[in-house]
Amino acid sequence: MNLSIVDWLIMLVYFIFVLGIGFALKRYMRTSNDFFLAGRSIPAWVCGLAFISANLGAQEVIGMGASGAKYGINTSHFYWIGAVPAMIFVGIFMMPFYYGSKARSVPEYLRMRFDEKTRAVNAFSFAIMTVMSSGISMYAMALLIQTLGLFHGIIPDNYIFHVSVLLSAVIVLGYIFLGGLTSAIYNEVLQFFLIVAGFAPLVWIGLKNVGGWQGIRHTLPASMTHSWRGMAHANTNTLGVEWFGMAMGLGFVLSFGYWCTDFLVVQRAMAADSEESARRVPLIAAIPKMFFPFLVILPGLIAVSITPHAVSTQPAMVAGASSTAPLVDEHPHGIIPQKTNPLNGSPIVDSKGEPVYNYDLAIPVMLLHYFPTGILGLGLTALLASFMSGMAGNVTAFNTVWTYDIYQAYINKRATDAHYLWMGRMATIGGIVLSIGAAYAATNFNNIMDALQLVFSFVNAPLFATFLLGMFWKRTTGHGAFSGLIAGTLAALLHHGLTIPTDALPGIHGGWIAIVHHYPSDMAQNFWTAIFAFSANLIVTVAVSLVTTPRPESELVGLVYSLTPKPVEHHLSWYQKPTTLAWGVLGLLVILNLVFA
Amino acid sequence: MGLDIRIPLGLLFLINGGIMSIYGLITRHSAIYERSLGVNLNIGWGLLMFVFGLVMFLVGRRQKWQDDPVNPRPWERGGGQH
Repeated sequence: MNLSIVDWLIMLVYFIFVLGIGFALKRYMRTSNDFFLAGRSIPAWVCGLAFISANLGAQEVIGMGASGAKYGINTSHFYWIGAVPAMIFVGIFMMPFYYGSKARSVPEYLRMRFDEKTRAVNAFSFAIMTVMSSGISMYAMALLIQTLGLFHGIIPDNYIFHVSVLLSAVIVLGYIFLGGLTSAIYNEVLQFFLIVAGFAPLVWIGLKNVGGWQGIRHTLPASMTHSWRGMAHANTNTLGVEWFGMAMGLGFVLSFGYWCTDFLVVQRAMAADSEESARRVPLIAAIPKMFFPFLVILPGLIAVSITPHAVSTQPAMVAGASSTAPLVDEHPHGIIPQKTNPLNGSPIVDSKGEPVYNYDLAIPVMLLHYFPTGILGLGLTALLASFMSGMAGNVTAFNTVWTYDIYQAYINKRATDAHYLWMGRMATIGGIVLSIGAAYAATNFNNIMDALQLVFSFVNAPLFATFLLGMFWKRTTGHGAFSGLIAGTLAALLHHGLTIPTDALPGIHGGWIAIVHHYPSDMAQNFWTAIFAFSANLIVTVAVSLVTTPRPESELVGLVYSLTPKPVEHHLSWYQKPTTLAWGVLGLLVILNLVFA
Repeated sequence: MGLDIRIPLGLLFLINGGIMSIYGLITRHSAIYERSLGVNLNIGWGLLMFVFGLVMFLVGRRQKWQDDPVNPRPWERGGGQH
């Protein structure tokens, strides 16, 4: 890939601003509250944009583009069903407890509501998980830079990966070390606008090329252009999931478990300047979130809609019968390149001898296909920005949980605030070093990373039941919550061990105890694992809570729905109230689903 | 928190939008735009970004950063424990 000086200049300007923000904010970092919670002084719209950007890391942008190319527009279920309803719920119902309880982190809320052991489980699993996700983000970024040959000709090819890892680590470390959470939030806002600025013209020019949405519908099979068609049964849609598994597993358990309990996103709302702002944060975030499928999923669809005659200026990448006929096959590939063996560069074929396509390159290939010098630099900047923000989000969540919920809770209880501020900075360094370790672990032991991520999905799956019961049922006890969490994780483990997706071998994909059920796809298995984990947690928590002594009600004021006064909204006009915003967002959501049904 | 995000955001878009517009102006009839179906994306989109950056920068300069203290919750006002 040949980048010109203009492209480099655009990227350089961005990196100067990233670090510049850190330096500008340094003098405002006086207390640990400033560093970890941005002094609770950020306006709602800034937090709202940071709220979605923190989630919009490498896996998200690359992964959603890839799924768009692979499965079609029904990938948008991950946004419309799998995010927006949960964001409305956390804003309207849960934020008053997170923000109003003055908890400094989600694990700390668990300690206030339940007890020390429930907090400990959450804090430790969360801390390990964030470091790993940040490492995987780093790995994905370095791999992409290497695949695209971004530094090709500037530094020797075999150093590109190491230089990319080190460079991203140093930059992220720099701005968080200096400006803490505020710095991370500000950079996430920059990233948000860069993604829009970089991808909107891509979608526009791409749509122009393939004849608009009508053109895509004409070229691609109907299953890829309708988000709800064939959802009645797993075998009649590209995702391989039936509507119930999707609505319950993705739409309820997984989505609420992530958006309502994951400190990575909740931390952004906790930084807001008032409780009303904090409640508005996820709602504001939900509006752009609804339209993001058009920026990250649509490029994937366009990439596979580009018919061979549209790319006739380039040499045919793939030989085969399909290159002359219109796209009638099940999996059109458009301009998606074939996967190649990294060792000898030869194309990889599957067991039936058919080529395997590297869908992860959908978005990068689109950028290279349509963008001339200049705006290409902008597109790549947007991509890099999203990679780094994904990392930074994890690192800021890690340093807070480490300092408040592990260090202050178990190692050094009575230090000065200045000491905790120092610890936060050290934790930032530590978190980055561990991320680098995780990134290299991912290169060497791909299966170990997959296995670890699987284990963490088991820890996360049941989480939402604990929060739901804790916030809305005052009878829930600490023992109940703790045993429920453990039972939920065990249920997930058991379910995974007993089931397997069709056409997978027993092992990491499941079925390592015995095979009692086959799922049509790994996505269906994943959703049903979550449903089982959630249900087990719910049942065990309720059962144990009923036989243990609840805490006196006076201790639960501000932590449980029925014992907390409703937020006062008299001073707000009807249009300023969070509920009005929530109804508006819901209305838009229904319209979008109907349009693309 | 002292610095309004709209100032760096505005400046970033002013500079990068500016670079793209100027580059687009220089390369008006260049062959590089074959990729983008003959559309000079640099000048059009660059100018749009420039204007967006200008608006953000001016608004950020005009408005004071809101640094209001956290509103106390109803039951905290009377008790005075915090």
